Amino acid sequence: MTRSPHPAARRVLLPLVGVACVLGAWEATLALYRLPAIVLPTPWSVATALADLITTRAFWHDVGVSLYEFAVGYAIGVVLGVAIGILMGERRHFRMAATPVIESLRFIVPFAWIPLTILWFGTSYTGKILLVAYAVFFVMVVSTARAVAQVEPTLSRVGTMLGMGSWRLAFTVHLRAAAPTLASAARAAAAIGWIAVVAAEYIGASAGLGLMITNAAASLATPVVIAGMFVIGVVGAGVSAAIGTLSRKWLDYR
Amino acid sequence: MTPSAASSIDERASAIDRAKQEVARNTREGELLVDRVFHRYSTFGRQTEVLRDVSFRIAPGQVACVVGPSGCGKSTLLGLAAGLLRPTAGTILWDGAPVVIGRNRHLGMAFQQPGLFPWMSVRKNVAIGLRTRGYPRRDARRIADEFLHTVGLSDFKDAYPSQLSGGMAQRVGIARALALRPRLLLLDEPFAAVDAFTRLKLQQEFKALLALTRPTVLFVTHDVAEAIALGDVIVVMTQRPATVQRIIPVAREERHRASAAYARKLAETLECLGVTSDMGDEH
Repeated sequence: MTRSPHPAARRVLLPLVGVACVLGAWEATLALYRLPAIVLPTPWSVATALADLITTRAFWHDVGVSLYEFAVGYAIGVVLGVAIGILMGERRHFRMAATPVIESLRFIVPFAWIPLTILWFGTSYTGKILLVAYAVFFVMVVSTARAVAQVEPTLSRVGTMLGMGSWRLAFTVHLRAAAPTLASAARAAAAIGWIAVVAAEYIGASAGLGLMITNAAASLATPVVIAGMFVIGVVGAGVSAAIGTLSRKWLDYR
Repeated sequence: MTPSAASSIDERASAIDRAKQEVARNTREGELLVDRVFHRYSTFGRQTEVLRDVSFRIAPGQVACVVGPSGCGKSTLLGLAAGLLRPTAGTILWDGAPVVIGRNRHLGMAFQQPGLFPWMSVRKNVAIGLRTRGYPRRDARRIADEFLHTVGLSDFKDAYPSQLSGGMAQRVGIARALALRPRLLLLDEPFAAVDAFTRLKLQQEFKALLALTRPTVLFVTHDVAEAIALGDVIVVMTQRPATVQRIIPVAREERHRASAAYARKLAETLECLGVTSDMGDEH
């Protein structure tokens, strides 16, 4: 294989090619079907709408609300998920009692709970926070329990030999050994949690990115709708990358 | 409570006291006594008998090598001596007192897989046991460094286990066990997973290390040559359910690999295990 003569240029150019393809397909669709701007605006008008959006205070408030709901829910979900996951991994009786509950609940996707959370908590932050926590919890609890139970048995015997009691063993050996698995689970959970926040805001919220988009759609401001969708994607990718980097930095020793 | 119940409790208590006294008379400090031990476990309702009436003793500072067919329960025996498992019947005494699960300040242990914590540096891996047992950080570090020096790994203090070769990792595992300055050292085929040449080197180093601290050692191996090289006695086990087939003392001169005495000892031990020295190529 010959080495690329301009690796840096390729690293910049090839992603641009991907973006150009999408924009090209978008423009081609517009040209081919002569769609009105309300149905599908041009990329340029979406870009202008985005540029206008990010200069408004309301937009940043919406981003802030969505991120706040996400962050609180995510923290609750991760802490509870890891805690219950450790208990399930360490205590056979606890696992036997908890497994049927968790296995049946975890396939009730967060979105199925949206009507109930609106009924119970209205359009407040609480409903979204709980929804995110719920979504994140199940990802974390299942992978924690599995990862803790699958830790190399020699490591447990070593810990016991070194004089560790069962809880010390659980936290300093099992949890630590499971950390790389937890790091990738935490990242997957972030994606699901972010999706849950936005979806819940689409349906019932008093602020947030989802609400901003549904409002824009109601007033037929399609460029704003698409600009908002773009923001959801960018923020989500950013959150996921940040959590990935942080968790790798702290947890991954491989 | 009725008077008769009270008296029967008294009787039982004094019987237990008498038994304890008898045991204390029969064991010495630093001695491991395995006394009529049975071990059974059940999986899915099927009982498996692993050990049947196993008895032997290791005198203080002596090395006993346990050899036997693979799967005969050698590791189970170690688990019992370490207090990781409870025997179905019989007793294991250390310092004249029964081994209790979770009470293990006197022992160090090394395993076939070194079992180093991959997220800790080599030095931390050796120091962690001392930290767990309450040593201040500075002392734990100093002792860890000392033992890493004895196993020749001073230059690898700050390395991580993934950066070590198999033999080096095994040395760290042994340094970790010895750093606890155990009076009872339990070893589960610690040299089985390294190549033959490294194994010989590790055996030699290990022998020198033992001479420094003189712990009582229970060494499980499937390598008869290793048992002769390291053991003061060889405990030969039978097939499962395992019992002690023979206890073979090893004299100093029988350790010289070039000697006729060594060859005889090897043949004797192998014969116990059902392997004849005749390879069938005499005619």
